[in-house]
Parts: sequence; structure tokens; C-alpha cells
Amino acid sequence: MHKYYFFFQRFLKTIFYSESRFTASMHVEALQVLLQGLCGGRQEKLKIHEICLKSGTNLGVEASEVHLLCSLSQTDPVWTVRHVGGPMRGAGAEQLPAHVRSVLESSISSNALRFFYALGYKMDYELVRIGYVFQFQRVVPITVTATMLCKVPKLHAIDEAIPVTPGIQLVELTAPASTENYSEAVGAISSFAEHLAPLIHLSKPGVPTGVVPTASTAAASLVSRGAMKVS
Amino acid sequence: MNGVRSGRWQVTASQHRPIRRDQAVQVECARELLGVAFSEAPNKYYFVLRPDHMVVEADSTIQSIMENLQVYRNHLTVVFEGFQYQLGDFHVKAGRAVIAHSENLRGIVLEVEYLPVSSLGKTHQLMQEFVDIWQEVAAQSMTGRIVHLEPNFGDYSLSDQYSWQHTALQYISLMVHFLSQRTN
Repeated sequence: MHKYYFFFQRFLKTIFYSESRFTASMHVEALQVLLQGLCGGRQEKLKIHEICLKSGTNLGVEASEVHLLCSLSQTDPVWTVRHVGGPMRGAGAEQLPAHVRSVLESSISSNALRFFYALGYKMDYELVRIGYVFQFQRVVPITVTATMLCKVPKLHAIDEAIPVTPGIQLVELTAPASTENYSEAVGAISSFAEHLAPLIHLSKPGVPTGVVPTASTAAASLVSRGAMKVS
Repeated sequence: MNGVRSGRWQVTASQHRPIRRDQAVQVECARELLGVAFSEAPNKYYFVLRPDHMVVEADSTIQSIMENLQVYRNHLTVVFEGFQYQLGDFHVKAGRAVIAHSENLRGIVLEVEYLPVSSLGKTHQLMQEFVDIWQEVAAQSMTGRIVHLEPNFGDYSLSDQYSWQHTALQYISLMVHFLSQRTN
């Protein structure tokens, strides 16, 4: 199935508030509390080893790129291969608040890396994503991930991965869509993003946004509400 | 043999070759990528790289991914198709192998499956005895003889428990065998 993914992404900056009584982890915790409320508490941990492969010299009609994802959240690693097309272009696409891309995914056996090496692909980079994922259903299924990107210091040494930007997480909203319903999916994602507005601003990839002025207050409120529920 | 016919079956095996942008320049990659799909498992696709002794299992969407990557091009496809039969604990598929779009018959295929047990080691003798019965029948009623083709699964790191990956390797081996007869 062709999937069209809508990307909103925003770095959840915490270093800005280093002088306040709110620690870096406060905003991450606040986002978790907010998402638990919105998504019915269905949170899953995320730990993914991602390997970006590029085609070798002179191979193929044109240079190509493919991603191998190894999910390390389960007992046994689960491998997926993903191909992401370029964003939809044109005047209509410019007006959309999100990118629309063709994304193809397939589960694949654990010899995937060796397979693509044999086909002439070479590793461009690898990283580890650590965080969590929520699922939300409104018009379309929406996936919300908040992850920390970690670089791998030595080849495949994922246990030694270190954060690229400590304290900063990447928040992404994605939803599957077809050529017939992508406008509804855009509307659903925009609507969901508004629920997160007191804490973070979401935007198209490559479009910078500022820190939300209310983030500090909103985070404190959310965290205290979350603590009251636990106690 | 009192078998009960239980429907049709089809296996599609393809040979792909790498695409080089500049034909004069060599590419470091597998010279041949073999793929196979089963009508009984429409959500799966299998690749075999013989020099690397590798069998890869993926969702059927891997075909769309490979088409988008445009690194390998389909060179030739062999279609295996026919009818399947239930004979007690055995499941038998009988059919023909043809080059796609040409109806050029390359051979007759017989697949025998013993349903109760999946261990290759435990069923080897039983399967051989069943095939011997077929050899006797074939000798009486057909010209030619049944040739048992089975790849060395251990070379491909496949376990003793039979799986779709084993079947994929078997049909790829069959395709290679038929194509080699074509060039002889």
C-alpha cells in the first residue's frame, strides 16, 4: 500500500529553561502526560536502530536510498525496510501544513543488511532513536513519536550510542493516506497538532518555529496533574 | 491413487539483473537476483542470492520498493502452475513450468509435502519412499522419469524445520535447472 505521510516535527527544546526550576526532563514528561490524555494512555516504548543505505557507484537508473529499521523494543529484533519518496510538489502542496510523501515499508528477515550490501548498497550512516510512540484515531490513524536521536560511535555499536543533542527530542506526527483522502488526513493532523499547541508548535520539516511562550507554565500544570493522578 | 483434487496453485519465479547507468563501467553488486512469489502466500515475497547463499523473506510490498529503487530489472520469469491433490497425509502439487508470456513448456513439476511433520531429518526416508512409489507409477505410464531436485538447505543456513524459505529455495533451484537445460 502506498502511504502518504504527513510530517510535523519540532524539537522540544529544554535547554532554554535551564535557569528555571523546571528540569529538562519536565517538558518531556509533560508531553507524555498530554499525549496519554489524548490517546487513552496507549504508549509504547521505542528503540530503533536505523541504517541509511545508498546505492553504489553506477548502480541503478539513478542514485537511490533505502532505510533499514531494526526495532529493539521487543524480545526479538524486528526488521523493516523503508523507502521514502520526495514530498508532493506544486502550488497545492505548498499550501498544505504538512509534507505529503510516498512511503513504502516491508518487514524483512534479519539478513536484510547483508542482502542490500550484496545488491550493491553501502551504509551512509546509522543512528539509534529512543523514545516513545502513541497512536491516536481521528478520521485517520495518527502516530505520534517523541524520540532522542543518538549517534553510534563505532560500527553497529548501538549499546554505546550517545545523544546527538542531549535533552532535545524530535516530535513527529505521521498518518497514512491515499490520493483520495490526503486532504482529510491533513485536517486530522492539523486538528491534533492544536491540542499540543500549549506545549509545542509543530511545523513542516525545514520550517523553524520558536519556543512556545506558554510551554513552561503548561508543562508544570501537566506534570502536576499527572502526579495527582498517580497518587 | 485415490487423491482428492483441492484446487489450483501457482508459483512465479523471476530472474533480475542489475541496471548500470554507464554500461562501460562495472558495478560491485550481485549479477543475478532471483525472486519468487506463491499464490498460497500472497502477502510474502522471497529473494535468493545463490553466490551469497542467502534466502530473504519480506512482505509483498518489497516488490514495489525494488521497483521504486530501479536498481534491478526483470530479465525473465518462469511460471509454475497446476492442480493440487490430497493423498492422506501427503499434499501433492502437479503442474508445468513455462516461460512467462511465451507458453514455452520447460518441464513438469511435482511437489510433495508431508503434512504431520516439518522436520527435514525425520521425514527424509518417508518422503523418499513416497517418491519411489511415484517412480514406479511414472515408469509404467509415462515416458521420462521423475528427478528429485533438492538444494542443500544447510548451505543457506536454513534450519531443519521446513518453511516457506525452504520452498522458495526449491523453486528457485527448479527455475535455474530448467533455464540451464534451455541453454544446453
